[in-house]
Amino acid sequence: MKIKICGLYREEDIEYVNIAMPDFIGFIIDFPKSHRSITPQLAKKLKSKLNPKIKTVGVFVNAPYEYIAQICKENIIDMVQLHGSEDDEYIKMLKEITDKEIIKAFVVKDDFDPKQAEHSLADYILLDGGMGSGKSFSYEKIKDIRRPFFLAGGLSPENIEESTSLIKPFSIDMSSGVETDKVKDFKKIISAVKQVHRRENNMKKGRFGVHGGQYIPETLMNAVLELEAAYEYYKNDDGFQKELTELLNEYAGRPSRLYFAKKMTKDLGGAKIYLKREDLNHTGAHKINNVLGQVLLAKKMGKTRVIAETGAGQHGVATATAAALFGMECEIFMGKEDTERQALNVYKMRLLGSKVHEVTSGTATLKDAVSETMREWTKRIHDTHYVLGSVMGPHPFPIIVRDFQAVISKEIKEQCLEKEGRLPDAVIACVGGGSNAIGAFYNFIEDEDVRLIGCEAAGRGIDTFETAATISTGSLGIFHGMKSYFCQDEYGQIAPVYSISAGLDYPGVGPEHAYLNDIKRAEYVPVTDEESVIAFEYLSKMEGIIPAIESAHALSYAMKLAPTLSKDKIIVVNLSGRGDKDCAAIARYRGEDIDE
Amino acid sequence: MSKIKKAFENGKAFIPFITCGDPNLDITEELVYAMEEAGADLIELGIPFSDPTAEGSVIQAASLRALNGGVTTDKIFEMIKRIRKNSGIPLAIMTYANVVFSYNTEKFIKTMGEMGVDALILPDVPFEEKEEFSLVCEKYDVDFISLIAPTSNERVEKVAREAKGFVYCVSSLGVTGTRTDISNDIGSSVEMIRNKSNLPCAIGFGISTPEQAKKMASLSDGVIVGSAIVKLCGEYGEECVPIVKDFVMEMKEAIRTV
Repeated sequence: MKIKICGLYREEDIEYVNIAMPDFIGFIIDFPKSHRSITPQLAKKLKSKLNPKIKTVGVFVNAPYEYIAQICKENIIDMVQLHGSEDDEYIKMLKEITDKEIIKAFVVKDDFDPKQAEHSLADYILLDGGMGSGKSFSYEKIKDIRRPFFLAGGLSPENIEESTSLIKPFSIDMSSGVETDKVKDFKKIISAVKQVHRRENNMKKGRFGVHGGQYIPETLMNAVLELEAAYEYYKNDDGFQKELTELLNEYAGRPSRLYFAKKMTKDLGGAKIYLKREDLNHTGAHKINNVLGQVLLAKKMGKTRVIAETGAGQHGVATATAAALFGMECEIFMGKEDTERQALNVYKMRLLGSKVHEVTSGTATLKDAVSETMREWTKRIHDTHYVLGSVMGPHPFPIIVRDFQAVISKEIKEQCLEKEGRLPDAVIACVGGGSNAIGAFYNFIEDEDVRLIGCEAAGRGIDTFETAATISTGSLGIFHGMKSYFCQDEYGQIAPVYSISAGLDYPGVGPEHAYLNDIKRAEYVPVTDEESVIAFEYLSKMEGIIPAIESAHALSYAMKLAPTLSKDKIIVVNLSGRGDKDCAAIARYRGEDIDE
Repeated sequence: MSKIKKAFENGKAFIPFITCGDPNLDITEELVYAMEEAGADLIELGIPFSDPTAEGSVIQAASLRALNGGVTTDKIFEMIKRIRKNSGIPLAIMTYANVVFSYNTEKFIKTMGEMGVDALILPDVPFEEKEEFSLVCEKYDVDFISLIAPTSNERVEKVAREAKGFVYCVSSLGVTGTRTDISNDIGSSVEMIRNKSNLPCAIGFGISTPEQAKKMASLSDGVIVGSAIVKLCGEYGEECVPIVKDFVMEMKEAIRTV
């Protein structure tokens, strides 16, 4: 989908679009009824300042076609938009004297005839809810139109998603929707264009900029295509969404609390710190959000068996839990090293009725567990769904997992507005593959004033080889079905990574994070083992909450950031999981050997 | 023009796969000559990848041994240049997308073309992602090989239509590795491919005995054997050359007149 920003008439407007880079802009030429009308001379001057990559559309209302042809000849415009009662005869004449493409606008009122629009001689049609009045119209009337069209009328940055969820325009056209007090508003233009471009990127086979894709064996292609189709269907199915919401609320205990960490705030002496308590979910982490969604989806798809990888065991336990609830067969793949580090979780999975496979290939950790689960999926596809645990892997997994985790930021937004009457200044989350982080970020991506900070596991430091900080130390590559950043050597061999946290001990990062990093919408910072252990101990003593060592990475950065901000600022830390599972390992780190 | 076509001119083609650098690159080079003498028609040279998600345990282990032995893409390219001084046998490189991408896709495939390597096989690059590699391959006269799996169904048509060199038919579900039982279902896929393309079809995955090879050759234009050979390399190490040679000879004999 493309975007046109129409009705520019000031030099500032040109500066705005040169930064935002919509696909088209429009000048309303010699139509004095509109306050946005300009002369051809002014249009020429503005066009000379416009980035030539943006196509200029001249909008006319019942103008003599010789007059339009003259303006085309001077190359003041690249396309002609006819917004009056011009008929096919008129278009035919105009086409004879100019070769610029023509857009014919149709106002969708009661007497609108879809057939007339469908058969118009113009190159494109534009469907408008009412002569620039900004009113939207009933989509019923246009749902059968098959040719590419511009959609106008009543569109604003807030309703792009909703307005284009059911119909697929070639381009949207906005004017008053990106204005404040009748002049173009820079922030609104940026927001609208970014949304459209971001969506466009997402629609290219699950791409996020250059990242993402489907780099998997042919054997699995039909399985992921089937999954994509099923997800596209159930995502918009009220029954599915209702069932999922009920599970999240009644079974998993959502919504999770947004807790004001009063003592911690006072102690650090800066910004107010809120903790999003994902640790209070059933099974003790955010993983359950995704798992309930995916297992429900698998059930709807007629699958009877689920398989999953797990690092620390949180995703494995969550999957085993959902499988028990839904009465499905479940097999979990876990690196041998991790089964030893997390023996309690292995027991839990077995207790829940799952089979746990120790993976001994490669480094016997999370990446090998993912590889082995992919191999298992190629062996048995027809009855099996692979419940991928993070926003990674081939499309559509990064989108499915993100959507199921986005409930976190949806709730943070509502809760923060309720408690503080405004959005937070920063949202901080730890990033391995990045599912809790994308969940905490997603609904804030369009709110450019909210800083999004992902904390990667630096292990013993990003200047050592014992690190898992992918964005800080990795490079672009292709692995586990996706293009993204990976820790690897110059020949593309995936590097062994290290972190005290088994959940962040992964050599890659989800493609959407790689993209948010590229476009500088989110920041990614490394946090070492030592820093996160200090944060683990700090929160336990300060607030009586034992965080997962993964989440402690995010806490650690919040502890650094808060004192540098004034007291009226708000930070939300996503407390993605609880730390019971880490107590033995942290005790060992501090030189104390305890039995689990 | 690539020499892939030539590989299918001596009766049913026998296509062995070996992991470069297992046990070392000198042995790999010797294996190429020995297999050519034994009747191999096209040789797949595997550039090891640290995390080969389409491989079973045999080739995973071989990849790890080779990488631990210090093999790199550049060292393998040097070996191929030496081979090309002595042999004109059709060659294909089989590896993973990241090995090519990280080396720089253009540079990797250009080097292949210059060395006279005829085809590139990337098991983790399906039809949807192939252009990133296949367009560069066309530029340097390297055939980008397309794979068809038992699950491909309605995809067979579009994959076959754009295939180059030969079509690699995956015999059964799962990863590479020997199997005791391979179904005949692949025969219908081969028929579907033949309706859409004039290219030869070779069947791979799981073939380890002369009987299996014979059966698969009867359904197609050739057979690809990897794990069974790589297993011998693993077992016999530096002594593997004559043993692999005998094995290839036996396999080629079994299918020659099918």
